[in-house]
Amino acid sequence: MSTPTAVTWKERVPAAFAWLTRHPSARAFHTLLRREFWEYRSLWMAPLTVGVLLVLSALLTHGAMQIDASEPSEWLDPHVKRSVFALAWWGLTIPHYVVMILVLSFYLLDCLYAERKDRSILFWKSLPVSDGATVGAKLCVAGLIVPLETFLVALITNVLFTIVWDLRAVIGHAPELLVWDTVAFLKTQTLMFMGLMISILWYAPFLGALLLASAWARRNVYLWVTLVPLLTIIVERIAFGTHYIANLLHYRSVGIWGSLHLETAVFGSFTSVGQATVVSIPALYDRVHIGPAFTNIDLWLGLIFTAACVYAAVWLRRYRDDSY
Amino acid sequence: MTAVIEARGLKKSYNNSQALQDVSFTVGTGRIVGLIGPNGAGKTTALKAILGLTQFQGDLKVLGLDPRSRRDELMRDVSFIADVAVLPRWLRVSQALEFVAGVHPKFDRARAMEFLRRTDIRMRSRVRELSKGMVTQLHLALILAIDARLLVLDEPTLGLDLLYRRQFYDTLLNDYFDKERTILVTTHQVEEVENLFTDVIFINRGRIVLDASVEGLAERYVQLTVTPDNAARARELQPFYEHETFGRLVMIFEGRPAAELAPLGELRTPSIADLFVARMAGNTRTEAA
Repeated sequence: MSTPTAVTWKERVPAAFAWLTRHPSARAFHTLLRREFWEYRSLWMAPLTVGVLLVLSALLTHGAMQIDASEPSEWLDPHVKRSVFALAWWGLTIPHYVVMILVLSFYLLDCLYAERKDRSILFWKSLPVSDGATVGAKLCVAGLIVPLETFLVALITNVLFTIVWDLRAVIGHAPELLVWDTVAFLKTQTLMFMGLMISILWYAPFLGALLLASAWARRNVYLWVTLVPLLTIIVERIAFGTHYIANLLHYRSVGIWGSLHLETAVFGSFTSVGQATVVSIPALYDRVHIGPAFTNIDLWLGLIFTAACVYAAVWLRRYRDDSY
Repeated sequence: MTAVIEARGLKKSYNNSQALQDVSFTVGTGRIVGLIGPNGAGKTTALKAILGLTQFQGDLKVLGLDPRSRRDELMRDVSFIADVAVLPRWLRVSQALEFVAGVHPKFDRARAMEFLRRTDIRMRSRVRELSKGMVTQLHLALILAIDARLLVLDEPTLGLDLLYRRQFYDTLLNDYFDKERTILVTTHQVEEVENLFTDVIFINRGRIVLDASVEGLAERYVQLTVTPDNAARARELQPFYEHETFGRLVMIFEGRPAAELAPLGELRTPSIADLFVARMAGNTRTEAA
């Protein structure tokens, strides 16, 4: 008695990605990526948790966006509404990216350190996986998959937040502020996506440095990455009275945004709402040009530094003999 | 007999101590080789060299490849259990199977499942929830389902109770080993694995003190339980080891014909454990002299 077994969605989903896993090395790399999400569940649980909390906050907030009753007419102007709407979206993504930075920092510091600490590296190394592929998978997770995943979850959160808020506005439980505007939505998301792409490239040196610290430290990896920069800054200041390292770190943190002339763009994008002014994100989108980010030589130097760090991390994982 | 491992003049030092001093040996296909020595003798260093986990001087070919430069390639045909406690504690049993199946072209998942079905291990469990014996069973199930040409085990049963130890070696012999495969096992507990080996290599202080097939041992070594009044005569034949237990004098000879020794007492082939003790003691004495 042979009945054809029904294909469940669980089988159908992997089938859709079969092209990804057909070639053995593609299949191996795919497995390495999945492994990271098994070990570090915060990589996918954190963005989801933030998303759920934000949507819940749309449900539970009481008059958090209370309007000044003396100027209701200006607030109801569609142009202003669109600005507020876009600004609210932008603001709603901030918790996502703050959490992402925290999660990725811990992940990068731990990912090549924990396996040496619990000696599971001896298990991973008993399988035919090169050290380049292992480190490459971690780099790919931190530099590509998690940022894109965070962007998508933030986008979905934005949409859900707006829907929940507007439903509450309809029944009179919340100020009617968030009016759907597709152009503003697309412009805001595109702007944030471009910002994310530039951030990945600009902050890559931090990623590389953390990965290298993780591969290098024999113990106390967290102390190394916090105390060493801090102490060098202090020692430099006391011994030479200079601030080169502090300046470098500062430049590496915010420098790229200067080259985009963001201040000028922001200044040109103010919309006045009665007495107050708000930045109009769609207007900002029209004014910002991301070209200068890519002609900034420091961005490329940073990427070369990142490549060197990753190479060193691979080399350490391959050749360092942590005797046991 | 094709060589699976060919080592010539391996040298390795950690800081100031010599872990390997000019070690040479050959391991052929289809052998089960015991690399035996006391703690700190250099066993683990030798294994790490073979597995490309450490740098060293000398010539080493494993399946014809130099593990220093062609490690990734080599790992397709070599599998190893470095120690029982290296499976990551967060890993689920199902994930372990999924992972090895994903990265190893020669892994047979059905076979691993078959091994696991004989145990109490559940697919959903994490390694941290399993007992030490179960972790070993899981590791063994993963490794034995890989169609490798060389299997390397480093003190595989350290810290396990007798039942699991026995089971471990039974599974190894009955379900895995065949003439195409080679197994290299290090241990310092010789007694329980005596009957497993086809060859033994004794290593002490970074040097090889004995390298022989088990059949060869019977021809080379004789253990004599000396009748009391023959002690002096027996000593003239230069045993390299003598030992007194329960008032009986036992001597071990190398390369002496049985006919010459038979009149002096009772003869038998020394066990690997006896030989190990004799060799290590003899070795120490020679060095002290």
